[in-house]
Amino acid sequence: MKRLHFEYDMHLTYSEPAKTSHFTIKCMPQSTDRQRVEALDIRIEPADSMEEGRDSFGNRLIFGNVNREHDRFGFHITGSVLTGLSDAETSERENMLGAYRYPHGLTVPGESLKAYLKQLAPEALGSALEKGIFLMHSLYRDFTYEKNVTNVNTGAEEAWRLGKGVCQDYAHILVTLCRMQGIPARYVAGMLIAEGYSHAWVEILHGNRWYALDPTNDLVVSDSHIKLGVGRDAADCSINRGIVTGGGKQQQQVRVVVKED
Amino acid sequence: MYDLDLLEHTDTVNELLARYGVKFGIYKNNTFKEQLFPFDAIPRVIEKEEFDYLEKGLKQRVVALNLFLKDIYSEKKIVKDNVVPEDFIFASSGYMAECEGVTPIKDIYSHISGIDLVQGKDRNWYVLEDNLRVPSGASYPMIARELCRRSSPLTFQNTRLEDNRNYAKLLRRTMDNVNAGGHTVILTPGRYNAAYFEHSYLAEKTGAHLVNGSELRVKDDKLYYVTYDGKLERVGAVYRRISDEYLDPMNFNPESVIGIPHIYDVYRKGNVALLNAPGNGIADDKGIYYFVPKMIRYYLGEEPILNNAPTYLPFYEEDMKYVLEHFEQLVLKDVAEAGGYGVVFGSSMSRTQKEAFIELLKKEPRRFIAQEVIDFLDLDILEGSEMLPRKADLRAFVLMADEPLVWKSGLTRFSRNPDSFIVNSSQGGGFKDTWVLSQ
Repeated sequence: MKRLHFEYDMHLTYSEPAKTSHFTIKCMPQSTDRQRVEALDIRIEPADSMEEGRDSFGNRLIFGNVNREHDRFGFHITGSVLTGLSDAETSERENMLGAYRYPHGLTVPGESLKAYLKQLAPEALGSALEKGIFLMHSLYRDFTYEKNVTNVNTGAEEAWRLGKGVCQDYAHILVTLCRMQGIPARYVAGMLIAEGYSHAWVEILHGNRWYALDPTNDLVVSDSHIKLGVGRDAADCSINRGIVTGGGKQQQQVRVVVKED
Repeated sequence: MYDLDLLEHTDTVNELLARYGVKFGIYKNNTFKEQLFPFDAIPRVIEKEEFDYLEKGLKQRVVALNLFLKDIYSEKKIVKDNVVPEDFIFASSGYMAECEGVTPIKDIYSHISGIDLVQGKDRNWYVLEDNLRVPSGASYPMIARELCRRSSPLTFQNTRLEDNRNYAKLLRRTMDNVNAGGHTVILTPGRYNAAYFEHSYLAEKTGAHLVNGSELRVKDDKLYYVTYDGKLERVGAVYRRISDEYLDPMNFNPESVIGIPHIYDVYRKGNVALLNAPGNGIADDKGIYYFVPKMIRYYLGEEPILNNAPTYLPFYEEDMKYVLEHFEQLVLKDVAEAGGYGVVFGSSMSRTQKEAFIELLKKEPRRFIAQEVIDFLDLDILEGSEMLPRKADLRAFVLMADEPLVWKSGLTRFSRNPDSFIVNSSQGGGFKDTWVLSQ
């Protein structure tokens, strides 16, 4: 168990004044069996309208807009979270499970991922968790971490063919492999201690509980991760989605700090 | 039944339709072509008793489809009870996980349903398709009736038929029933849409505002109409004539410029009604069509009043066997396609085409349904002074207001090509008025 303090700072600057902006932010940790949110402070600037909501995946969100000229937009979220309270999370929203068992969006397998799974042949293993961990180890061994090869829209199949990518790609590939084995699997967006940027990993259903696997670091998640959102793929839980009219060129800066108490 | 006088006015009515801009746009080979929707003055006539039967069957079907949608986006009992295999839900492009746990106002998903039927030579009616997303077409028989009455008033003095110009009232009642407070608007993607005439006509007749996406705005957790002088007026119901994908760039396709950012978020909070509800594509999927009679038994405990065309699902082994053995006498439909596309007749395929198709069918059995070819009862159309038989279908409109309402008319579409069984207006057919006799 750890008490983690985090700070998530996103800052956009425009080269020309922007007329309107719309934003949806999914960057609010929630209390679960694994983690307890002890404090949370959210600042969004500028914003003319702001509302809280919740999506179908259970993520908390804030949506709103800016309706006057502005040359920057940003949000700053700080909080502290108690992590590692349990080894897994009880499954709620049982009606959603089918959505986590079928390919969708960035997790649609193609020929090369199918061939890879065939070669790994995890069927011989026993439980969903054993299979998941085996697939995680294999992926960690066979995939290379490298930045700037893939982007936010790269799907699992494409990343696998490239052979390298970042945490988002590791997570998409592992989700895809698990689903092909009939194991409900979901993409998790979050933060990792001392990383400096956001992170992504995977949850798989074993028994009636979600276990978290971090394929980028080849580990079963315990208490160094703060979970922000879940979905079928990265697009379902993107931390920050926006549309702007005007604004010219945009420059985005993201700063993430996660420290132990 | 109908006066010859009316038929003599065919040209006049068509000229008037053209003047009113009753057109139908089609995309073909990536170009947009607007063409007139040719009107044939010989109406389809349905006797009162026959329509009473259709009305009962249509209500039953649409009530069951609404219950199905509610179930699919919540508990999924019908899947748990093994009536519908989960593959047909989760692998369907019509299923939208974003609609899970969202309850539309008064639990109504399909406010306006277009149910396509054909009548066989055996006089039996068969449902061919359910359209629960954005079915169009009601405006055509509405305006055609109006213009026919004007051109040939005598015809209508002598015939006891249901007045179909009440569609606007039924629609208004349907929109008002779910209005969350504020204006009622009809949201159009604009004049380049195939059904733009209809959008403007329905707005005029129901008294709703005709708006495009840029005239609506979300502020806080409500939807507003932006007036010409920049004031915001609350909107409580949106009869949207744009597809789910383009409805909200912040929740669905981010490239959409015709949608309204965050409209889905305020809908989710119950602060505005969307007609029809997003996510309905799962219920009018051609694969799900097979299960509609089972749905009626499952949710209502009743026997279906209306028949489906005899349909086989190659997904089931027995059905696959039947399909392969009777390939030549079946019509095969790709479940992902609409508008008369993706429909092939086993009998019209060459040997190599057939082999290639069967290979695809075996590889992706869930993608196709197979149906017996129904021997349609032809309807006469007038070409010059000749009466010629043509294939025709009937799109019946069922509105779900405080109770299900069946419009006593409908859009009868016919194929202009004598050999074609495809009567979809996207494929360039014509239309007729549908007369329902009142006694």
